[in-house]
Amino acid sequence: MAKNSVAIIGRSRLAEELLELSQAGGFEAKIYPDAYAVSVSAPLIMETYAGDKYEKREIIKRLDAQFPSSVILSSCLGFSTSRIASWTTRPERMVGFATFYPFKEKKVIELSAGLRTQEHALQEAETFFHALGKEPVRVKDAPGLIFPRILSLIINEAARSLDEGVAHAEEIDVAMRLGVNYPSGPLRWADQVGLDEVLAVLEGLQRETGDDRYRPAPLLKKMVLAGWCGEKSGRGFYEYK
Amino acid sequence: MADKIKIGVVGAGTMGAGIAQISAQAGFETVLYDISQEFVDKGLGRIQAFLQRSRERAKITAEEEQQTLARVVGSLKLEDFTGSALVIEAAPEQLALKRETFKKLDAVCAPETLLATNTSSFSVTAIAGATRHPERVLGMHFFNPPPLMALVEVIQGERTSAAAMEKAMTLARQIGKTPVPAKDTPGFIVNRIARPFYNEALRILGDGHVTVETVDRIMKGAGGFPMGPFELMDLIGIDINFAATESLYESFFHDPRFRPSPIQQRMVLAGNLGRKTGRGFYTYGEK
Repeated sequence: MAKNSVAIIGRSRLAEELLELSQAGGFEAKIYPDAYAVSVSAPLIMETYAGDKYEKREIIKRLDAQFPSSVILSSCLGFSTSRIASWTTRPERMVGFATFYPFKEKKVIELSAGLRTQEHALQEAETFFHALGKEPVRVKDAPGLIFPRILSLIINEAARSLDEGVAHAEEIDVAMRLGVNYPSGPLRWADQVGLDEVLAVLEGLQRETGDDRYRPAPLLKKMVLAGWCGEKSGRGFYEYK
Repeated sequence: MADKIKIGVVGAGTMGAGIAQISAQAGFETVLYDISQEFVDKGLGRIQAFLQRSRERAKITAEEEQQTLARVVGSLKLEDFTGSALVIEAAPEQLALKRETFKKLDAVCAPETLLATNTSSFSVTAIAGATRHPERVLGMHFFNPPPLMALVEVIQGERTSAAAMEKAMTLARQIGKTPVPAKDTPGFIVNRIARPFYNEALRILGDGHVTVETVDRIMKGAGGFPMGPFELMDLIGIDINFAATESLYESFFHDPRFRPSPIQQRMVLAGNLGRKTGRGFYTYGEK
């Protein structure tokens, strides 16, 4: 692959958005469903899996072995960048990024370095996002960084309120839009982002900090187990055709 | 439609005056009560000033302004609420004071008058417990400033009747608001679910290596929120925001989800309360 190329690993709406943005930014970009499918080396690899630890670790290990000189950008929604880097033999080229779908219209992207990440890897990640027309912001290494972390906690509290019977889903969403001017009701927002991604952030924070304030709402866990992850699966807090 | 219906408001502060204003604007005969003539006049003055600005901006006509003002009467006697369909209490946030007020309202108002509290931090059930007719006591939680915020949370206490809820929902719609029914639980809907927006931002600030500007920029630029959490806390008032978090923390028996932030507490102690003092997470020039 050419110098100006990027390999995007993952099968999600976010991966598709990143593909589109990369191509519009002048990159030769391609989506691969998993690490085994990547046939040619690219200087930049974006790995977009949020959740399942076993699956993500296998993908990262495989990429690490197959592409020793690429900078790897990995979604740090569910794991700190330091933890993701710990699965590799070359932690210095690992950069974390965190965002939620939809990303296309958003101005800012959050990046984080693990303890052993080197400056040049961060700079390459920043150059890449600048080329996509985004403003990269470096923040401290933690699961979900800042926006996904705060939104996931809001959604978690909304899910608890719903489960406890405080109000119905539509009413919770109307109240948050009108009472504090949120751009979307938290339950509708959860359906758009994907409940599995929200759960990944909460479980990641609980795992990394050991703090009980991050424990996921039982309803959120059950819905993910039931496969009701939101828009992409046809059902979440609402139903979709 | 509404010209025979009377609505009473207890407390002529920002919330009470705002609620009296929207009630009068919707065509209800409105009684605005407070404990001294000075407070009542101040509240009526607030309504006059708001309506004058609305007229100057051509949002209402001079006639509408006059008719609205003519519908609000100041009062120093709770007996003036006799014959009201609804009385909304917006007194200071002290439980003993609210319970005392409801006990008196319960005595002067006929059992079919709805008695609503605008409390944001106390249980409606605790306030209703001071009355002999708890079935007609409920919460009507307006948002600041009432003339501009569309939402009213209508709160059902343990003993509030379904009929009272129904009537309050209808009256809220007639006042021009969007009512949302909710159960009497700590923080109701909005104050509870919005807590992490402020509290987790404070936690992240406490974790270090980040500025308030960066957090605000990310929440707007990556999240699409209209304001960042620190700008918003400065606007609300750091003391008000801290008190809301503390109240939730106490009500949930110290659940770590609501644990208040030492950073925020220190700001309250230092008197850095946000825009109103000129200093908060940002500075706003001398005050």
